[in-house]
Amino acid sequence: MKKVGVFVCHCGTNISQTVNCEHLAEVAKDMPGVVFSTEYKYMCSDPGQTMIKKAIEEHNLDRVVVAACSPRMHEATFRKCLSGTDLNPYLLEIANIREQCSWVHSDKNKATAKAEDLISMSVAKALKNESLTPSVIPIHKRALVIGGGIAGIQAALDIADTGYQVDLLEREPSIGGKMAQIDKTFPTMDCSACILTPKMVDASQHPNITIIASSEVEKVEGYVGNFDVTIRRKATCVDPIKCTGCGLCSQKCPAKTDSEFECGMSKRPAIYSPFPQAIPNIPIIDQTACRYFQTGKCKICQRICTADAINFEDQDELVTIRYGAIVVATGYALYDHRDKYGEYGYGQYTDVITGLDFERLVNASGPTMGKIKRPSDGQEPKTVVFIKCVGSRDATKGHEYCSRACCMYTAKHATMVRDKIKDSQAIVFYMDIRTPGKNYEEFYLRAVEEYGVTYVRGRVSRIYMENGKLIIQGEDTILGTQVIVEADMVVLATAMEAQPDATEFARKLGITFDQNNFFNEAHPKLRPVETFAAGIYLAGACQGPKDIPDTVAQAGAAAAKVVALLSKDEMTTEPIIADVNINRCSGCGFCVPVCPYKAISLKTLTERVHGSVAWGPTGREVTRQVAEVNKGLCQGCGACTVNCRASALDLLGFTNEQILAEVDAL
Amino acid sequence: MNENIIQVPDKSGISKIMREIAGDLLRQQTISLVIGWEKGILPNKSAPAFITQSQDAEKLIFDEYCYHNLTKYLLQRKGSGLKTAIFVKGCDSRSLVGLIQDNQIAREDICIIGISCPGLMEERNIVIPAKKCEICYTSVPVEYDFLIDCPETKTANDEPGGSYAHRELPRVENMTLDQRNIYWQKMFENCIRCYACRNTCPVCSCKECCFDQANPTWLGKGNSTSDNGFYHLVRAMHVAGRCVGCGECERVCPMNLPVMLLNNKLSLSIEELFDEPPASLSLDVTATLNHFKPDDPEEFM
Repeated sequence: MKKVGVFVCHCGTNISQTVNCEHLAEVAKDMPGVVFSTEYKYMCSDPGQTMIKKAIEEHNLDRVVVAACSPRMHEATFRKCLSGTDLNPYLLEIANIREQCSWVHSDKNKATAKAEDLISMSVAKALKNESLTPSVIPIHKRALVIGGGIAGIQAALDIADTGYQVDLLEREPSIGGKMAQIDKTFPTMDCSACILTPKMVDASQHPNITIIASSEVEKVEGYVGNFDVTIRRKATCVDPIKCTGCGLCSQKCPAKTDSEFECGMSKRPAIYSPFPQAIPNIPIIDQTACRYFQTGKCKICQRICTADAINFEDQDELVTIRYGAIVVATGYALYDHRDKYGEYGYGQYTDVITGLDFERLVNASGPTMGKIKRPSDGQEPKTVVFIKCVGSRDATKGHEYCSRACCMYTAKHATMVRDKIKDSQAIVFYMDIRTPGKNYEEFYLRAVEEYGVTYVRGRVSRIYMENGKLIIQGEDTILGTQVIVEADMVVLATAMEAQPDATEFARKLGITFDQNNFFNEAHPKLRPVETFAAGIYLAGACQGPKDIPDTVAQAGAAAAKVVALLSKDEMTTEPIIADVNINRCSGCGFCVPVCPYKAISLKTLTERVHGSVAWGPTGREVTRQVAEVNKGLCQGCGACTVNCRASALDLLGFTNEQILAEVDAL
Repeated sequence: MNENIIQVPDKSGISKIMREIAGDLLRQQTISLVIGWEKGILPNKSAPAFITQSQDAEKLIFDEYCYHNLTKYLLQRKGSGLKTAIFVKGCDSRSLVGLIQDNQIAREDICIIGISCPGLMEERNIVIPAKKCEICYTSVPVEYDFLIDCPETKTANDEPGGSYAHRELPRVENMTLDQRNIYWQKMFENCIRCYACRNTCPVCSCKECCFDQANPTWLGKGNSTSDNGFYHLVRAMHVAGRCVGCGECERVCPMNLPVMLLNNKLSLSIEELFDEPPASLSLDVTATLNHFKPDDPEEFM
């Protein structure tokens, strides 16, 4: 005979003002299985918990029902209380009479009656509750950081500094990401390369960091502590061990193509390193541009290479490595205004450029050696117009969200125009100025007050060419007039958006993404770097638009989470997971594709059957398949249990039997 | 799949080829059982035949009363590794594909001998075509190792305007809510819950059916209108998206209830909602409700 104890909490007056707690404690005594019940002002307090422990001992209770706030609030508290006794913590049941009763009702009689129902349901379920034991899984002490931009570099450095091995994976030939392309950083105006490249060097020289460049994630299997990641190392045709990075091959390569790093504003050879400070400083062959791969003749690079590092037969390689934790730092892409913004010329005016193009134009190592020259004729532009929110805050053409960094970098660009071209004019068209950051507002005000940048509040409706000038037609909503500006160059602050392959990548990892394809954090405020997949963390703009300071802060936070995980030898897993009754399972396998965590697989059983197989010999062994739940991967969401027609799958702690007992008690 | 197609001049020639193929297969001893049909005790009844000796292959026949879908018998040899040959009509071949897709039988364990079906007659009224033929999608088996190809093959829906709807469906759909409620209540009242429809259904392949489970007990054991209704509605949901319309449920019902009707309506609704082909027309296409895509329509949610 099971003995249930019921403990009714007043929660100060939160519950007792609309629910008669004394009455509840009294009627609970008559519920089936209940041998003890009481009420107290604060059941979660130390005296309250002591009361529960004492009652368990005195009345030999083997099931506990606490009628209080939501399980989300204090279930963990009361489980901990039970674990200090002889009872298994999962023999506890919470009746939520606060959020689901006292807080939402005003009639005391009706609320009390409802609370009584809620308690009787919990008692019925508690009678069916079984002891559950967490299992432990080992933690493999190596981390993978996917994406070698500033977020990935920072996360890798922070993890490596604590002594754990980190692999830093980058799909481009060099780490550095978008920050390597940027000229100066707001609000301090220090040179981007000067603060980034030392970090790149630190990463490459760190004994605990292995940089895996020109490589992508092919497949992710396993679970927290034990991810088996298959990495595709793309064929680069240059042996990274033999190559000395002398750069002779790049100098002599006869094939030229647009440089991605310089936003197409200059050429690069087919065998190239994206920029001089690249890490690893090993060139790769771009097979789409290489004369040998296109025509079958050339091989100049191979002939002049003194290290014999060129291998035209190089093939993609797949390697599988086990990791305990993964940091996703895959960054962002830039919105392409050319498809959608017809009024800005669909990209047909060469002097309408993007913010990133401008970064290369003002960069001392860029295509113009840092002189601001417009792309069409190389002339110095005298009037430069900046348009903000191109693709941001524009649900009809681009994205509904704010890209967060554009207000600041536009102020930076306008400052640089005024600084570098003395007789110039910089005009910024804006919707709002958003400067929520330390020293950000001051930076913007300096652009206006010290550098004389003109800010016009309004959208630009059209850009067209007239007499070799770009005519910008817009509106000044503050003056309420139409504005027409003749400009030499236009810079568009295009939106930050998710990488084009973000959704495909998320499915590979088993993480979720939002309506804009940015990866979802587990909680927007309280778990900002975790994902819903245990052991996978987020850093940087792959989670949402971010500037560099925020990215670096988030990378550090993700690293801290990784280190906390790797510092343990093994971790306990939540025992509220799916469980297969193999006697019922017919092995149809429909649970396998519905599992969002890839936790279910089919295994083959061999068993002896009674009697004979139909029209076959007697006493045969038959083999059949049944579902198997991986305890490390299962998060207890229950999607599989509702999909199983034979209810062979059950969620421990919420079994069909337990839920039906609750329903029957009503 | 073209190498093993045997043409017959008309449907009277099918039985002879069946005996030849079955006899050959049993003589080669790679297959230990052939499942087909034999003459029944009445002129309008044929019966399932289980042939293990090559000389018994002479019993096999095919006529317009071979309505039985034989595929469910295969479950009795599931996992034994024994090879079985089975005769299938177009509709039966779809349930066979379903069983393979549901991971219940292995394709390599069975030899499928397809018959392009010339059409069947109603069991209880031998002069009208069988109900299942009215909703037939394919008279030619969709999967086979051997095919006995009969030129008289056609489905009711080969003609333009074929509806794939159960003959009762338009009438029931046009009823008012009250009329429809009475219609179903009457059906559930008459059901004796003998489970014949479930037991014959090739899609009901669960190891232990939810209605047989004792812990928890999903359904009362007694025969009441509400429990009978619960049974039929749950069963319709459990086979939804996988039902191939073989019509066995309705044929075996001793109370003559329109058991297929709910399944037929659900199949048609699923096709319409998801704009996907009917279940089990090909081994390569997973049944609509057994997979999900990020861009699945969800306007009904």
